[in-house]
Amino acid sequence: MIFRFGFLAFVTVFLLNTNFNKVRAQEVKKNAVRIAADYVKVMDGESYINIKATSRVDKQNVVVPDIELIISNEIGDEEQELGKVKTNMQGISKFVLKSLSDIKPDTSNTYTIAVAFNGNDLYKRASKSVSFKDASITAKIVVEDSINYVSATLMDAVTGNPIQDQSLTVQVKRLFRPLMIGEEFNNTDEEGSIMVPVENDIPGIDGILTLEVVLKENEDYGTVKAALDAPIGVTFVHESTFDQRTMWSPRKKTPLFLLIVPNLITFGMWGFILYFIMKLFKISKS
Amino acid sequence: MKNTDKILVDLAPRKFGKVGVLWTILLIIVSLAGIIAYIDQVIKGQIVTNMNDYALWGIYISNFVFFVATSFVGTIVVSVLRLTKNAWRTPLVRIAEIISVAAIIMAGLTIMIDMGRPDRLMNLFIHGRMQSPIIWDVIIIPTYIVISLLLLYFPLLPDLALLKKYFKDKKPGLSKFYGKLSLNWTGSEAQKSIQLKSIHILAIFVIPVGFILQTIDAWLFSTLFRVGWDSTNMGAYFISGASVAGVGALVTVVYVIRKAYKLDEYITDFHFDKMGKFLVLTCAIYLYFNINEYLIPEFTSKKEEVTHLNHLFTGHYAPLFWFVIIGGLVIPIIILLFKKGRKPLPMFIVGLLVVLGSWWKRFLIVTPTLLNPFLPMQGVPESWHRYFPSMHEWLITGGTLAMALLIITILVRYLPVIPIQRTADEQELLKTENTIK
Repeated sequence: MIFRFGFLAFVTVFLLNTNFNKVRAQEVKKNAVRIAADYVKVMDGESYINIKATSRVDKQNVVVPDIELIISNEIGDEEQELGKVKTNMQGISKFVLKSLSDIKPDTSNTYTIAVAFNGNDLYKRASKSVSFKDASITAKIVVEDSINYVSATLMDAVTGNPIQDQSLTVQVKRLFRPLMIGEEFNNTDEEGSIMVPVENDIPGIDGILTLEVVLKENEDYGTVKAALDAPIGVTFVHESTFDQRTMWSPRKKTPLFLLIVPNLITFGMWGFILYFIMKLFKISKS
Repeated sequence: MKNTDKILVDLAPRKFGKVGVLWTILLIIVSLAGIIAYIDQVIKGQIVTNMNDYALWGIYISNFVFFVATSFVGTIVVSVLRLTKNAWRTPLVRIAEIISVAAIIMAGLTIMIDMGRPDRLMNLFIHGRMQSPIIWDVIIIPTYIVISLLLLYFPLLPDLALLKKYFKDKKPGLSKFYGKLSLNWTGSEAQKSIQLKSIHILAIFVIPVGFILQTIDAWLFSTLFRVGWDSTNMGAYFISGASVAGVGALVTVVYVIRKAYKLDEYITDFHFDKMGKFLVLTCAIYLYFNINEYLIPEFTSKKEEVTHLNHLFTGHYAPLFWFVIIGGLVIPIIILLFKKGRKPLPMFIVGLLVVLGSWWKRFLIVTPTLLNPFLPMQGVPESWHRYFPSMHEWLITGGTLAMALLIITILVRYLPVIPIQRTADEQELLKTENTIK
């Protein structure tokens, strides 16, 4: 009798325990996803939303790769889906806005783009919206007293009004990071303009500098970037040995002395060897 | 004085005794073990070795360098002694030529063993760049193999004709074999003239080729910017080291052949005395180069050089380093400076010491340098900072050494190790001179 009760108790505990495990498995804590979204507009180029998804797991910030994000245009209570993107292995994705005319602004000419994640087994649902107005930057080179200046004007693209007292960054495009020029903050005047001198000793391929004027992560307008090429740099002589015959070239571009001398020696040696072999034949015929 | 017939009987190849047969069987077994290990290496890849991203050249390359060095005996003994008209060379040159052939053939095979994908050997020729010393090596080794064979073959012709006659009744098959190899040698003036002229040109020709071979071998290292290799001295250093390895190997093999074939009348104490003097000269020159190679970096005390030298002088490789320097060079020099030290048995022991020292010297040239790069790799396992060959590597290396000895053994079995015709001619000449006196 005692054994029966004991066995029953054991089985009950075992089954209950199994059941608890199931409950726990269903209640695995999902992590929250943080979505960062920024609007970027490149003048005479594309406009896009830069998105990055991260999460805090075990007290560490980790990127969230391979999740599907739904991009929508919000107008008041209405929402119109624009498309879907997936984050890459760095948790980053980019959604290109084909044309701003395809999306609708609200009454204050503000566009709102929502980025939504519907959640999965590991992460909770999350969303983030980014609002921006359409701004434009026009940039050109002007010369005053033999000094080259970048002259740029920031305007509201819808109203055509200049945007004043906003800081623009002027930089020269380089291979890894841009080279900042001028003051740290170049605030636009009442006409929305700035004038930044360009030093005359900046090197560029064929003397051409790619100058960029950037409105960075502005609360109202997002990031707006204008670029222009100007032949005002010091001509950079690209000292590539690619077409030359060097010690580090492929075999087709072996230095001539290394083609001539070792080959002469090699053919010389084998010439002698042939001579000796002929002598052997001669001995056998003598 | 011996007549030609007596000399022929004494010097004609003969069957091995029991010891010779056992020796050959042992070499075949070790060679087979090496071949099996190599097949396993080809199947599994070089994962079976203990080489890694640090020790990317291991025991195979040190063994290769040893073989290349030993093959220099063909140049240093045969040619130099021939051109300087040293008459005492006669009973030694054939053995030197045989060692040279065996060593250079095995050098060529060993470099292939080091290749992870031997099936891609042809890529070296198809895609090789003349800027790389490795390609120069690929060119010079087959060249030196052919030249060494020619250097062995030309002086053999009269002896092969003699052997053809000698074995005509005893062993017709062998006689036919020698006959084919003798290229219808009759000893006519025309044949002699062509042969002597060819040997003379070959003797001159093999010197630059031998120097090129050793120098290229040195440049494989010195063209790399690494501690212990980055030296303008490496070419000369390798040539002097090769002379030591070559003459050391010659002394050892000559002693064994003399003993096995009972050639005491032909290879006398006088020859050992001469070889001893030659060996002491090469050892002294090599010791001088070693002092240069180690003292100057120690003196200038560049950080990486000091680390490298500390490994050699007092560190992990110290026992091996001091064995190579003291056991492989200093003690042989001291012994050989004394007349008693240049007797056959002491010479044999010295020869063994020199050969052993020469082999480990190549290991010390290759390995410690690789383990101490100028730019150490980050985050690699601690074990990568050390290298000791795996069982596969030992078996394969042992196999190659056994194969080299097997080539020597086979050639010694079927070729006259002492030039018969030349010995007879010299004795005849001596007899004539004595009669005139």
